[in-house]
Amino acid sequence: MKLYKKAGNTIQILSFPGEDISKGCYLIIEDGHAKRSMIVQVIDVQFANVPGIMEELLRDSFEDESVCGEQTDPLDITCHILYIQDARLLICKIHGTVENEELVLDNCWLPSRTQSKIRRLSIKSLFDLLGIGRSLPILLGETYELTHLIVDARALDGKLNIITGKKGTGKSHLSKILVLGLVDQMATTIVLDLNGEYARLGFTSDGKENRYCRKIHVLVPALNFRVPLAQTSLSVMQKILIYALNLPGISSREFRRIWKSLHERGSLTLHDLGEAIKGWNCNQNVKDALYSRYYSLVHSNFFTDHPAEGVLLQEIFQKTENGGAIVIDLSDASPTERQIVVEYTLGMLQELLSERSIKPVFLFAEEAHLYLRETYWDDIVTRMRHLGVFTTFITNQPNTVQENIYRQADNVFLFNFINEHDLEIISRAAKVDVETAISIVRDLPPHYCLVLGTAVKDFPIVVKVRELDVQTGGQTRLFFSERQIERASIARSSET
Amino acid sequence: MLLIQQLHYSTTPRYNFPPHPEDLQLPPKLIELSLTSLQNLRGEFFQPHDVESTEPMLNQQEEDKTSFRRKAFSIQLVPLRPVCDGTPIIAIDVSSVKIGETENGILCALRAAVVWSQKRRYIYHRFGPFPVHIGEENKKEVIGLLRGHRFPVSTSSDLIDIQVKLCNLVEKWIQLNVCSSSASSIILWDGSLTAGPNGSPPGVISQLLEISRQRANTVLAFSKASKMRFLGHKITEVSLRYPPPWIFEVGEMPFSPSLHLLGNVYVARFRINGYSFRLDIDKMISVDQKIDAVQRLIGNELVFQSYPESLRLAHIYATFTANEIIGIQHYLAQEFNLKLLAPRDLRKTLFGPYGTGLRD
Repeated sequence: MKLYKKAGNTIQILSFPGEDISKGCYLIIEDGHAKRSMIVQVIDVQFANVPGIMEELLRDSFEDESVCGEQTDPLDITCHILYIQDARLLICKIHGTVENEELVLDNCWLPSRTQSKIRRLSIKSLFDLLGIGRSLPILLGETYELTHLIVDARALDGKLNIITGKKGTGKSHLSKILVLGLVDQMATTIVLDLNGEYARLGFTSDGKENRYCRKIHVLVPALNFRVPLAQTSLSVMQKILIYALNLPGISSREFRRIWKSLHERGSLTLHDLGEAIKGWNCNQNVKDALYSRYYSLVHSNFFTDHPAEGVLLQEIFQKTENGGAIVIDLSDASPTERQIVVEYTLGMLQELLSERSIKPVFLFAEEAHLYLRETYWDDIVTRMRHLGVFTTFITNQPNTVQENIYRQADNVFLFNFINEHDLEIISRAAKVDVETAISIVRDLPPHYCLVLGTAVKDFPIVVKVRELDVQTGGQTRLFFSERQIERASIARSSET
Repeated sequence: MLLIQQLHYSTTPRYNFPPHPEDLQLPPKLIELSLTSLQNLRGEFFQPHDVESTEPMLNQQEEDKTSFRRKAFSIQLVPLRPVCDGTPIIAIDVSSVKIGETENGILCALRAAVVWSQKRRYIYHRFGPFPVHIGEENKKEVIGLLRGHRFPVSTSSDLIDIQVKLCNLVEKWIQLNVCSSSASSIILWDGSLTAGPNGSPPGVISQLLEISRQRANTVLAFSKASKMRFLGHKITEVSLRYPPPWIFEVGEMPFSPSLHLLGNVYVARFRINGYSFRLDIDKMISVDQKIDAVQRLIGNELVFQSYPESLRLAHIYATFTANEIIGIQHYLAQEFNLKLLAPRDLRKTLFGPYGTGLRD
C-alpha cells in the first residue's frame, strides 16, 4: 500500500491485488522518521485511476464473437499489467495518531509519502489501544475479523442512543442484546414494547426458561398492569389528560379542583370522580370535555379502584434492584391507551427519580413517535437525562426522531439504509462523519451494524450482531405458510 | 537471410484460414536479447518515462518529400468493384515504446500483432511485450544483430535510432513468418514498400515480396501519412469528384537515388465519408492482379473510413497503453530489482511553469 493523497481529514491510499482490504477496515500509517503513526479507516474502495485504463478496457471489449485471439508472452509481463489494472484506491478517514504507544487526537501532521509503511490494523490491536470493553462488558457480536466486539456498559450510562436501520436488518435484535447486557450488569431497563417482541426474553427459542426469566417483568396494560387511581399523583393525571387525551387548559383547571376536592375527602375512586364531574358546577362545555376524558380513562381499563388489582411501579423497580427489565407490552393497546400508559410510566418515572426513590434506568423506546408527545423529545435529552432516564430510540424511520436527538446522541447503531433521504437524516448525528456513515451503511449486509460514538471511543466499527437464544415475539405473521408452499409445489410436480 | 534457421517452410494449403496462428513464432534471439540486456541491469536505477507524455515510436519508413509538377503527375483513376470471394486478409503491425532511461542507455519495449480476417471474423495474435535495454555496453551486440539481418546501422547511431531499427527488424520477422505460412491471401502492411538506408533494406523487402508471390499472396502496404505533394497539396488530399471506391496510380516520381520503390504507389479511397490513403502494391505483379487484390480487399473486409479493419485492429493490439507501460515498469522493478527514480523534467526544473514545449 502506498500513501497517495490527503485532503482535509481524508487520505487516499493505493492498494494492490493481494492486499485484502475492505470497507470499514482500519489501517495504520507508520512514519518511522516522525516516530508517529496515523490511524485511518477505509470508508470506500474504488478503482485506481490508472492512465490508459479506458483504452485497455475498450480494446478488451472488442473481443466478442467476431474478434478473438491469443497472446504469446514468454516473459509473463501480462500479469504485471493486470496487477496495475486491478490497483485500488482506498478512501480513508483519519481517526487519530499513535505517539509513544498512546492514542492522541492530533491529526495536523502529514506522514511521509515515500517513507511511510502502511499495514492493516487489526480490530483487536485497535481495541487494546482504545481500551474498549474492559470493565462492564456487553458482547455485541463479531467484527469482520471475527474479533468479539465488547462495549462497556458505562458507555451507555447517562447516554442517549439511537438504533436505526431499514426494516428487517436486526435493530430490535440488537436492542434485546443491549437490554439483556444491561440486565447482566445489574441495571434496570424499561422497554416500551410496541410489537410485543420483548415479552418472551426470559425463554429460550425452544420455550425453556433461561437465566433472565426471573428478571424480565412483562406488564400488559389493562391486564396485569393496572394502577390504583388513588395512588396516582395529580401531576401525572394532568399530564395524561392534557397530553394523551388533549384536555384544554380551562377544563384542566376545573379537573384540578375536582381532584383536590376528592383527595381532601379521601374518595379518589373512578366512580366518585365520575360523579363529581357530573355534579360539578361549571360551564357545560367544560363538563362535557371532562366527562369524555373520564370515559376514556375508564374504558382504557388501566386504572382501578381496588389496590389489590393495581401494580405499583415502585414495587416492580424494587424487584429489578439486582438487574432486570420491565417490559411494557403495548402491542394490544389502542393509540390512546398507549399514550395514557406511556404518560403514566414516564410521569411516574420522573417523580420516582426526582424523589431518588429508584436508581437511574435505561429506557428502550421502539418507534417512539407513535406514543411520545412532542415535548418529551426535548425532555428526554435534557431534564429526564439529568434525572436518570437514559434512552435508546429504536426506529426504522429515521425522520420520525427529532433532529436534536440525533445531534445529542452519544451512541448511534446504524444498520443498512439505501434510501438517500434516510442517509441524509442519520448523517445529522454529531457522532457521525457524514461520508463514513453514508459510504459504509449503504453496503451493510443484514445483521451487520455500524457502531458509532462513545461505546467505540468514536472509532466507527462494523459488527455482525451476535445471535441470541431467546424467543422472538412480534415476528410478522405471514399468510403463506411453509407447509402451504410445500404442498403447492408437490401438487405442481404431480400435475407435470 | 532473415531467420532462416528458425523457420520451417512447409506447403500451406490454399485458403488455410486461420493459417495456424500458433505456428507463428518469434525468434528466440529476440527473447534472449531482451532477457540478457535486462539481466545485466539487475539492481541498477532507472528513470521511468512519464506515461502521460509517452508517444509510441513510429516505424521508420523511407519517404522523400517529393513534390510533383503538373507534367510529371498523371492521374489514371481506376474505379473498383468489390469482389467478395472469401479471400483471407492478414494484417501486421509492430510498435515500440520508450519505458525509461538508465544511467547508460534506454529501456524500450516491443510488441507485434497479427490479425487474420475471413468472412468478417477476426483472429489476432499478439507477441510480447519484449522489454529491451539498449545501452553502450550492449549497443555493439544489438547492432550486430541488425547488421546480421542486413539492416544498415552505423556504430554512431543514437540509441533511439537503434530502437526504431530493432522494431523494424521485429516487423520483418513477423512479415516473413506470415508471408511464408499463408497462401492466396492479401497481406496488409503498415507503411510503404519503399526501401532505403533509414528504413528496411531493399533486399529484405524484395525477399518478402518474392516469398509472397510464390505463395500467391499479395502485399498491400497502407500509409496513414504521406509527405508526397502535388501542386502544394498532399497526394492523399487531392480532391476528386468521382465517387469511391477507386484508386489512382501516382506516376513516375523523382525519388532520391538512395531509395528503392519496390511497389507502385497509389492513392486509394474506398468510402465516400472516408479518407484517402497512400497504397503501395508489389511492383512485380501485373496491373490486373493489383486491381484484383484491392477489389478482393474491399469485397472481403470492412473498410470503415477507407481503412482496412484488420489493419486497424493490428494497430490497436500492437499499441502500448499507458497502463501497460506502468505494468512493464513494475515488471522491471520486480523481476530485475531495478530501482525507480522519480522522473526528472529539466525544463520544468529550470523554467517552472514556462518549461513547456518540446522535451529534451
